[in-house]
Amino acid sequence: MRYLSSCHRPAARKRQGPTLPEGGKMSLARPQLTILSEDQRRQIYLSMLEVLERTGVEVAEEEALQVLRHGGATVQGTRAFIPPHMVKAALASAPPRFTVHARDAGKSLRIEPGRVYYGPGPTCPYFVDVSTGQRRRYVRHDAATTARVCDALDNIDFVMSLGAISDVRQSMCDVYEFAEMAANTVKPIVAWSFTLESCEEIHRMAIAIAGGEEEFSRRPNFIFYAEPLSPLASNKEAAQKLVYCSRHRIPLVYTPCPIAGATAPATLAGVLVNALAESIHGLVISQLLQPGTPFVAGGVVSIMDMAETVLSYGAPELSLLSAALSEMCHFLGLPMWSTAGCTDSKLMDEQAAVESAVSVAMAGLSGADLVHDVGFIESAMTGSLDMLVVSDEIIAMARRILRGFEVDDATLATEVISEVGPAGQFLDHRHTAERFRREFWFPRLMDRSRYDSWNAGGRHTLLERARERLSRILAEHHAPQLPARAAEAIGSILAEREKKEAKAAP
Amino acid sequence: MRVNYSTFSTTQFRVLSDNQIEAIYLASLEVLEDVGVAVHSPEAIELLKAAGGVVSDQTLVKIPASAVKTALQSAPERVVLADRKGDRVMSLEDDNVYFGTGSDCPFILDSATGQRRKYTFADVADAAKIADALPNIDFFMSLGLVSDVPVPTYDRHQFLAMLSNTVKPTIVTAVDRDGLSDIYEMSCLALGGRDAFRAAPITALYAEPSSPLKHTRNALEKLMFAAENMIPTVYTPCPIAGATGPATLAGCLVQSLAESLSGLVVAQQKRPGAPVIIGGVTSILDMSTMVMSYGCPELFLMSAALTDVVKWLRLPMFSTGGCSDSKILDEQAAAEAAISLLMATLSGANLIHDVGFLESALVGSYEMLVMCDEIIGMVKHIARAIRVDDETLALDVIHQVGPRGQFLDQDHTFRHFRDQFWFPRLMDRANYEKWDAAGRKSMGDRVREATTKILHDHHSEPLPADVLKELKSIVARADAKLPGA
Repeated sequence: MRYLSSCHRPAARKRQGPTLPEGGKMSLARPQLTILSEDQRRQIYLSMLEVLERTGVEVAEEEALQVLRHGGATVQGTRAFIPPHMVKAALASAPPRFTVHARDAGKSLRIEPGRVYYGPGPTCPYFVDVSTGQRRRYVRHDAATTARVCDALDNIDFVMSLGAISDVRQSMCDVYEFAEMAANTVKPIVAWSFTLESCEEIHRMAIAIAGGEEEFSRRPNFIFYAEPLSPLASNKEAAQKLVYCSRHRIPLVYTPCPIAGATAPATLAGVLVNALAESIHGLVISQLLQPGTPFVAGGVVSIMDMAETVLSYGAPELSLLSAALSEMCHFLGLPMWSTAGCTDSKLMDEQAAVESAVSVAMAGLSGADLVHDVGFIESAMTGSLDMLVVSDEIIAMARRILRGFEVDDATLATEVISEVGPAGQFLDHRHTAERFRREFWFPRLMDRSRYDSWNAGGRHTLLERARERLSRILAEHHAPQLPARAAEAIGSILAEREKKEAKAAP
Repeated sequence: MRVNYSTFSTTQFRVLSDNQIEAIYLASLEVLEDVGVAVHSPEAIELLKAAGGVVSDQTLVKIPASAVKTALQSAPERVVLADRKGDRVMSLEDDNVYFGTGSDCPFILDSATGQRRKYTFADVADAAKIADALPNIDFFMSLGLVSDVPVPTYDRHQFLAMLSNTVKPTIVTAVDRDGLSDIYEMSCLALGGRDAFRAAPITALYAEPSSPLKHTRNALEKLMFAAENMIPTVYTPCPIAGATGPATLAGCLVQSLAESLSGLVVAQQKRPGAPVIIGGVTSILDMSTMVMSYGCPELFLMSAALTDVVKWLRLPMFSTGGCSDSKILDEQAAAEAAISLLMATLSGANLIHDVGFLESALVGSYEMLVMCDEIIGMVKHIARAIRVDDETLALDVIHQVGPRGQFLDQDHTFRHFRDQFWFPRLMDRANYEKWDAAGRKSMGDRVREATTKILHDHHSEPLPADVLKELKSIVARADAKLPGA
């Protein structure tokens, strides 16, 4: 202060990002990113209210419509027009935080501001076979493998399967997937299903793992994912699952995949309005059914590539829209379901690395709560464990950036600089030995060796090192087994359903 | 109409709070006043003395805070660089971001053989050509160190290769003051005289203090020559946390700033108003390999933090991005380039250099440069953020399309997709069958093809023959002065 006169002290900078906590002498310097001003966030929110009230949403499910009508919406046929006060009430009762309990308590997800969790996504038709490197249909065993790899990776926090199982009865691929994953990871699972029936069965399996219905309601151990349709609709199945999860207080992600230029406006601001309206009408239904039921908003918000007519999973617009939608969700006090670690590339190459890095860093900087689709290649058509393992390293790197650094007398280190003096060196100073482990990130797969040792070591690329790690994980890592009673219960739920299906369609 | 409405028209990004910026700045003043810097030039010592510096042990100068304050008052808060045509194309001010290569890598990854070998004159000429062709590369540093010319005059040869193969602004290294003097003469000649250079500086000097806290005679003489002639100068250190700087990131920033600011004092004492750009490569020592990392998250984090400090001081910032520790163009190079370019762009650093570096700055790679050009396009699109107004909120379009409708055939879509969407050139978004049929290429393959195509097809605007002849004669004059010539 005393050295700065007002004449050359620059005026406050024009930016108005979030203010940083000061508190006392020690403070933490952390990257702070903002996309939208407070007024812009408010305008997008108000626009969303206008859409819900004027344009309305299609809800193809009677119970959900009734709930909306009863709550004050105008319902005409399957179209519901939702007035702003209903949204306000829903936002007021949505929990600002909740916990999803893992089998290993240290791996539970505390979904609250300031934490960012990463994990894979669901339902790719194809999978890159680990032994042949070839793309093929996704099979039941792949769900177990993926869960095991997720279980081993330090920077993957929740588990999805990376694919839709093709080699079981198709109406049961969702339940088989959950069963395979539950047996192979202690981390929380984000589940999905085609039908209400499967959703109920997954719930029953989770109850068996939790050790009873009461245990489950007290300590929910999975998240359910369901999708409204863009633009502005919930189909029957989605709405049924929404109603079921709300009634049973199952933490729910209810998020759309609007495509700018196809199922949403081509302008990014318009995409945000649509995406938000699609999540929020689900929130209104959920909170009317069960105030306080845990709800996650957000979605996969990207563009239609106009040359290839494909929904892009690597576009910068995906990162930008996701970060902006995170801001919108946090502005409304809701957790954000975001997207990163995915690519349009057909293989784990430089493009995949760039698109993963940019999206992972942006999702982290935006403070998104749950970031999914890590490990997707080919615009979500193929799941790749190579991509998952490489992205795990990229997430670790991004997390080092997000952690920031401490600014206090000890870290400013003027004493140390004085002791070392001009032209000295810090390598053998006590301060270095004491501090470097805390300040420096230690990569696992990124190579910093000298040329000669890299050359002598076989000139490996990052992908080769990632594959080596993957092979080691597959050979060595096994999650602790499920308690026998839970495993048995899951087995009988599957058998019962098989019997029922066989009877219905012999 | 709506009133009292504020908008962000770009992303807003910071690492440090105002208090943290001030803490780092004040700590650097304490270092300058209490520890001082080693100054190995009698002229610079005299200049610092005149500013109130206290000299001990012949070369140790303790610099009072008041001297820094005076220097900050006279240093310009914006510096403009021009292209070879004399157009003032780069305004280094506020949050304007520009991208370019780095200098003097000993090795090149040969495009034809994939092998690592020494840089030649022809290689630097090719590098300049590539930079000239790439839309997202704004300035050019040599990328490689020309090795097939006499070492004491490499700088003139290198500059000749640069100047004759790109019209974009250049930033040079020089052997010594005489080398810089020749380069300055060459720049003025290309532009049409000293006044023309003052009005449109096409070349900036890059010179370095030595961490920790030391200014060599060579660096200072170049700095003072540049100040005297108002040549824009990047005077920035490369402290390595844990080796030539404290292991704590905050401490490394303090020292880095002290090194830059003491150089700034010398330059401003030499000629008030001298255009100086500060900042630097602030990274860590990888403790298992003893390599200064060019791909670590600490580099990206410290660079963004230093940008906050330098912009708070209202000086142009020299930052780092598009570089890697990887030995080749692989997935690691791609990931490190992407995160570094994203962070540097978001931070709003004015000059982002070292684009194209591999192997921790030992290899300058054309392919890395071409790949980074695509990444820069991508991250710039993110930094443009989101336009929010009635047209983009599109409520009427949303209403008209309605639930379960589609937007593909809406006028609104046609009106906007070109300005809202980024169009990649090297990123592939084809479906699997199309990609398979086209030869299953990786991005590395496409980058190599694009590089070859530029080298084959791109022709930089040539220098007039008489100018080129005169430039060559300046180089020959320097060579002729060499012992044994």
